[in-house]
Amino acid sequence: MESLISTFHVDIKLLVAQLVNFAIVFCVLYFFAFKPLVKVMTERTATIDKSLKDADAIEKRLALTETERDEIIVAAKKQANLIIEEADKRGEERKGELIAKAKEEIGQVINAEKAKLTSEKAETLKEIKKETAELVILTVEKLLNEKMTADKDKELIKKLVK
Amino acid sequence: MAGEEIIHENTLYAEPIAHIGHFEITNALATSTVALVIIVILGIVINRNIKKVPTGLQNGLEMIIEGFLGIFDGITGSRKKSLQFAPVVLAFFFFILINNWMGLLPGVGSIGQIVEEHGQLIFIPYLRGATADLNTTLALATLGVVLSHIMGVLAIGWWKYLNKFINIKAFLEIPKKIKKDPMVILVNPIKAFVGIIEVIGEMAKIASLSFRLFGNVFAGEVLLASMSAILAYGVPIPFMFLEVLVGLIQALIFAMLILTYLTINTTAEEH
Repeated sequence: MESLISTFHVDIKLLVAQLVNFAIVFCVLYFFAFKPLVKVMTERTATIDKSLKDADAIEKRLALTETERDEIIVAAKKQANLIIEEADKRGEERKGELIAKAKEEIGQVINAEKAKLTSEKAETLKEIKKETAELVILTVEKLLNEKMTADKDKELIKKLVK
Repeated sequence: MAGEEIIHENTLYAEPIAHIGHFEITNALATSTVALVIIVILGIVINRNIKKVPTGLQNGLEMIIEGFLGIFDGITGSRKKSLQFAPVVLAFFFFILINNWMGLLPGVGSIGQIVEEHGQLIFIPYLRGATADLNTTLALATLGVVLSHIMGVLAIGWWKYLNKFINIKAFLEIPKKIKKDPMVILVNPIKAFVGIIEVIGEMAKIASLSFRLFGNVFAGEVLLASMSAILAYGVPIPFMFLEVLVGLIQALIFAMLILTYLTINTTAEEH
């Protein structure tokens, strides 16, 4: 042991000094390099893992959305067709109704006009009769005034009474 | 004095270059401090640039950490344990790696002062690869092994841990089990003896760790010096590459062995 120390100049102070050097190296490597690097690396691994999972989920959701969209489109088409059909039907109905109503109204107007015409005709006829009668009376009076005598008047009355 | 030859040799030990009171600063300690400064600067630069989306230096470092964690998982068997031990093991790896490579830089081992000692002029470099000094490797190895014991006690409890080495439990078990299995009276003392061998094994761990690293790096320096002595231009280049590789491999071996010790000591022994 003695010869070992003298041959290699082993010195406890030097040993301690080298240990201190190594301790500093360890601390620097651990706190400045290893710890933050491993932290960053594990974080990155976690991020990549999560991203991959997210991408999977997104893809699945996308596929789901696409089928959903297709379903919605098909349903919408069906409904649209239904609405169009109904609208057509209603239009037809309304058209019929309107035509019927118009016919009715036209009929009414025609009837009213006819009634008016008949009444007017009747009135006119009445007036014509009246005026004709007056005219006849006047004419008869004029005729009679000149040639009528009492005898003749009596005779005429008799004839008329008979 | 003039004309006297300057002795220029690779010593087995690090030489002192300055004094603070009674404390001698050796050239190996100086290099290790320079390495420390480099690592601190690197650490701060990395810390400033940490982002969730990595760029440049952070990318490289993350790749290194990921790679190491993958290797660690093979040894520890679980990512949780790997993450727990990684800071220590990576600190060993980077500190030793930087120090090993520092020793190969031009100027380290070649710039120095000439000191007179015992009537001889001796060249003393200002910087010497820190891992080419047994003080450094011994300190690191001791720390590593002691740390593995501390973690062991924390992980499986002091009583169980103590019985790995001084197997009191083996003796206490004898009266209970002797009726069922009389062989226990022979087997359990052997178990206790094995525990004592483990104690010696722990010493051997420190010795093998420290001398392996020291031996490899020091041998590398001697090898490069020898090759430079043959021909300073060209010849050392392939050996330089070799030493770069050796520096990396030795740092890796040291770190992996520490991790193995940590793993073994934190696992409860089952027979």
